[in-house]
Amino acid sequence: MSELYVARHPAAAWRRLEDEVIVMAAQESWLFTLNEVAAEIWEAADGRTPLASIVRDRICEKFEVDFEQAYRDAEELLRALAERGIVLLSETPLEAGTP
Amino acid sequence: MTGSDASSRLLIEIAGLGVALNCEDEEFARLVAGAYSSFLALPGTPAACEFAVHIAPPRGTDPDEDVRVSLADGKWQIRRGDFEAEFDPRARQGWVRHTANPYSVDTVLRIVHTLLAADAGGFLVHAAGAILNGRGLILAGASGAGKTTMCRLAPPDAVLLSDEICYVMRHGEEYLVHGTPFAGELGIPGVKVSAPAAALYLLARGNQHRLVPLKPAEAARQLLRCILFFAEDAELAGKVFNSACEFVRRTPVYRLEFQPELGVWELLK
Amino acid sequence: MSGLMERVTQKALALGVPLSVHLDLTWRCHLSCIHCYLTERNGRELTTAQLVRLLEELAECGTLFLLVSGGEVFLRPDFFEIVEAARELAFSVRVKTSGTLLDDEAARRLARLHVAGVDVSLYSHRPEVHDAVTRLEGSFARTVEAVRRLVAYGVKVRVVQVLMRMAEGEYSRVRELAAELGAEYSLDPTVTPRLDGSRSVVRLNASHAAWRKVFEDPELDARPEHCPLSPEPQEAAQTAPEWDSLPCSAGHTSCYISPSGDVYPCVQFPLALGNVTERPFREIWADSPAARRVRSIRVADLPICRSCEFLNQCSRCPGLAYMEGDLTGPSRLNCEQVFARTGRRPAPLAE
Repeated sequence: MSELYVARHPAAAWRRLEDEVIVMAAQESWLFTLNEVAAEIWEAADGRTPLASIVRDRICEKFEVDFEQAYRDAEELLRALAERGIVLLSETPLEAGTP
Repeated sequence: MTGSDASSRLLIEIAGLGVALNCEDEEFARLVAGAYSSFLALPGTPAACEFAVHIAPPRGTDPDEDVRVSLADGKWQIRRGDFEAEFDPRARQGWVRHTANPYSVDTVLRIVHTLLAADAGGFLVHAAGAILNGRGLILAGASGAGKTTMCRLAPPDAVLLSDEICYVMRHGEEYLVHGTPFAGELGIPGVKVSAPAAALYLLARGNQHRLVPLKPAEAARQLLRCILFFAEDAELAGKVFNSACEFVRRTPVYRLEFQPELGVWELLK
Repeated sequence: MSGLMERVTQKALALGVPLSVHLDLTWRCHLSCIHCYLTERNGRELTTAQLVRLLEELAECGTLFLLVSGGEVFLRPDFFEIVEAARELAFSVRVKTSGTLLDDEAARRLARLHVAGVDVSLYSHRPEVHDAVTRLEGSFARTVEAVRRLVAYGVKVRVVQVLMRMAEGEYSRVRELAAELGAEYSLDPTVTPRLDGSRSVVRLNASHAAWRKVFEDPELDARPEHCPLSPEPQEAAQTAPEWDSLPCSAGHTSCYISPSGDVYPCVQFPLALGNVTERPFREIWADSPAARRVRSIRVADLPICRSCEFLNQCSRCPGLAYMEGDLTGPSRLNCEQVFARTGRRPAPLAE
């Protein structure tokens, strides 16, 4: 499968509150909360690290889940977030400098 | 709305320093309040000094003659044809006796403020002033040098501090430039606001727009020529001299040669 | 408030997180609005470095919502540096400005920084009335121009109108103007006293009749503009008041920081909790005696308000109560508004 890169959208605002991350999408002023797993992915979403690496290194061991399932879930979640404009997804690395 | 609850006490605040005028004549107080409306302070503001203002019958002498300021017995004596005043800097009070002309108050205020500023490491300067992008710009020069012209050419997002006299005050390690109500040809009193002094421009007419950086010694020399200075007093002169030197050490100074056309302000951005 | 926002606020409350911070960069302003609550203009201001450091501390404490205001924020030469730093720290940033110094370049920069929104004030749809409030001729035109520029660049703009007597009948016209310009609209019904306690500006408030109209308007969310997270005044409820409920979010999940670094529960609540140049913000927020005092107050601790029949309909401001002299006492301006709304006098206004 081709690599997938994910970056936090530059327009997003966010903050970790204990085990979850609160995200505010600037444009529509929508508020999202990301649970522990999603929060982990979010914090690693620098646009340069492939999603596969993020899932393998940060999710599988920590949350004791199988890679294939975790990757599928992550991709599904991120596509939903991308539709809402709070992440950017790409098959090539994205520019650094997202907040 | 006025700086006074008692009908005749006005507090005019310039560069954060309040001068209280206790006018025996209510009508006169109203005139002055109208002339300085945007610089009236809120009633509870502390005053740097208090003046009793008395109306005296006119003596028919020339209001355009030069004002004479001298120090006698620790008190400043201020005299001109149309008024006389005294200011005791240690007691922080004084009196003014003049004809019912609110603009003689203007002269007294200018003089008192040069004295107050000198003690605080600041000075008043013949200059137009503006705030552009949060930076305080001082455009200094004598009558006719181009202060009014520069104000007329200013971009819409510039805040004009004054078209005639700016107030430079030491604020910790930096200098702030404040607006004053002392109006020039444009007749518009300045805005009561301040900004960090970012640059001083000494105005000169030229064939084209040009900025020439000045070294501190030359800058101080030229700045001193524009500073308001009324009294022949060695100690006062010393303070002002030191303030000017300190200022040019910390602030970039340029000669601004310009043609009276739009585009000159691009040089100042 | 949405269900999710409510839950996030509750979590912030439980964790002691200052979710929303109002930060004034300067109290200097080239306008001289007749109703302005600011008194001290030329005080000390935090340096750029101090502000950036403060933003880092706030981010560490969990602050997400930042309102940057003043005075006039564009009088700070480092304004954009501060907003950039805030965005890099992932704050949701709102900017409040008169808009009179906002040129095209500034509008573009704000858009590119993805600020959550910009608030500007309009006091009337008539230029001469608005300018009489700001006492700056031409300010209406400049503000409207700024709104157009911001909207053109895709920035979300909110026109906030503080309701004042000389324009009290006009709010629907201002609301229309905002809609025409592509901006949201919000009404603040209250002119509050000056921070030094002087109540002379309070006479600028709208009449009771105008207040009633405003409170009854279903399309209007007439709340004080600086209380984004305060509880909404409800219709007269049949249920008993919640004795351990909070008067408002000030000091609990929100606070205010002045240009010189003083921390207060709210901009309208001048009880200093500490100064960030003397102690880290985190310590001030968590430990200062004043902060603990403010946080300890519940409805049950308000001797007069707890037994008031209008308790559930009142948006009692503890800051205004404090300025009247008693942190646990009533806020007469809010009593007046209840009187306007219901036609009946709460106890503090008894004849």
